[in-house]
Amino acid sequence: MVAALTRRFGDLDIAEEAAAEAFATAVGRWPADGVPPNPGAWLTTTANRKAIDRIRRENKLGDKHKEAQMLSGDDPPEPLGAIEDERLRLIFTCCHPALAMETRVALTLRMVGGLTMPEIARAFLVQEATVGQRITRAKAKIKAARIPYRVPSAEDLPGRVSGVLAVLFLVFNEGYLATGPGTDPVRHDLTGEAIRLTHLIRALMPEDGEVAGLLALMLLTEARRAARVSAGGELVALDEQDRGAWDAALVAEGHRLVRERLAARVAPGRYQILAAISAVHTSALDVRDTDWSQVVALYDQLVRLDPSPIIALNRAIAVAELDGPEVALAAVDRLEHQLAGYHAYHATRADLLRRLGRSQQSRAAYGKAIELAGNTAETAALTRRRDQLG
Amino acid sequence: MQYLVSVIHDSNELAAPDEMAAIDAFNDRLIAEGHWVFAGGLGSTSLATVIDNRGGEAMITDGPFLESKEYIVCFWIMEAPDLDVALKLASEASKACNRKVEVRPFL
Repeated sequence: MVAALTRRFGDLDIAEEAAAEAFATAVGRWPADGVPPNPGAWLTTTANRKAIDRIRRENKLGDKHKEAQMLSGDDPPEPLGAIEDERLRLIFTCCHPALAMETRVALTLRMVGGLTMPEIARAFLVQEATVGQRITRAKAKIKAARIPYRVPSAEDLPGRVSGVLAVLFLVFNEGYLATGPGTDPVRHDLTGEAIRLTHLIRALMPEDGEVAGLLALMLLTEARRAARVSAGGELVALDEQDRGAWDAALVAEGHRLVRERLAARVAPGRYQILAAISAVHTSALDVRDTDWSQVVALYDQLVRLDPSPIIALNRAIAVAELDGPEVALAAVDRLEHQLAGYHAYHATRADLLRRLGRSQQSRAAYGKAIELAGNTAETAALTRRRDQLG
Repeated sequence: MQYLVSVIHDSNELAAPDEMAAIDAFNDRLIAEGHWVFAGGLGSTSLATVIDNRGGEAMITDGPFLESKEYIVCFWIMEAPDLDVALKLASEASKACNRKVEVRPFL
């Protein structure tokens, strides 16, 4: 079958992937739906479809214009075709709660995103063999425990979708702030895939606030991508970004979604609040026009939903703009016992200490942040800031 | 497709009357909806005996094969078309007997 596919598509990788995906589909589906009358023909047809799907996807990735269309403008949602239906079924199978979180992420990237094992291993800093084992074990469990290959019923959907969103958010974040010394700081293949899949979920559940919120958050983050890494490969902080380089179409699409959720007048979940924060930032054409009191108010709302120290750290960064670096530093220092191993904690402290003129302490904090940061562009920016200290 | 739903607990205390009533109601539903295969409670691990007859002579040892704080106190065998249905039934089972359960598929 791989040979026939290779002949047809002229690409061994695509053929192998398509054949593997077709078998995986069969493994997921046949136990529940029964083996089709002509299994060989079924596999060939499925593999052909997968290959075409992948070629389409890759062509899109290379084509800026089409890409913009892919990221926005699917509103009102069109009825889902057979391929989209199949992808949705696959997403829900890959993100099944009976699988461990890291397995769900790896499986989704492999089976739905079409990433290779080495790519997944690199993205999450694990051995290729580990990824292989996770995926093999997951496939065995899907088969033997009969994890169904279908979109959950309307009644179960709300309970299942949060798990899917968590996976897609992880994929997006890894793409946005890729780890590892040899990797590109921003991996558009991952962010683009996460956005595409979130669009699919939104087409399935157009009324779900958190789905809309996550999509808005991704679009508003993705919109800043071009401004986020300098020509020299340094990470550019939000307050230093060239706002003219932001993607206006993505910003508009993200803002539209946030407004839609505000109009719904339903208490927002965390993705919606994060999207609203992002909307406040992207509404300011100049960083000095940022409505910081609005940002802090949204963080207050978020802290009530999610008391994690990372949210508290981000809130403190906004507080620095509203109430000054001294107040913010006191709030940040209270997080030490929880965040001492997290680079952003030290980077935030370094920045606040610098603004307070405490250069010596600032230098030490930058040093710790550099030690702990995994992203190449981030390390470069931190090093420059440290070396600029008087 | 059949699934073993084991009830995991740290004592062999019998179910309280309200738990027993909930279990009975749940069992009636399993039977009515065609999921029932079998169910039973087990004696405590101190009543267990291990036999190993791989060496030609049956070795008999007192006690469970594995000492652990929590162990299987009773179980269901359920008929379900897939894991989603089994997990749903198992979560109702856990609620009815007020204990943690583990789901494993039969091969």
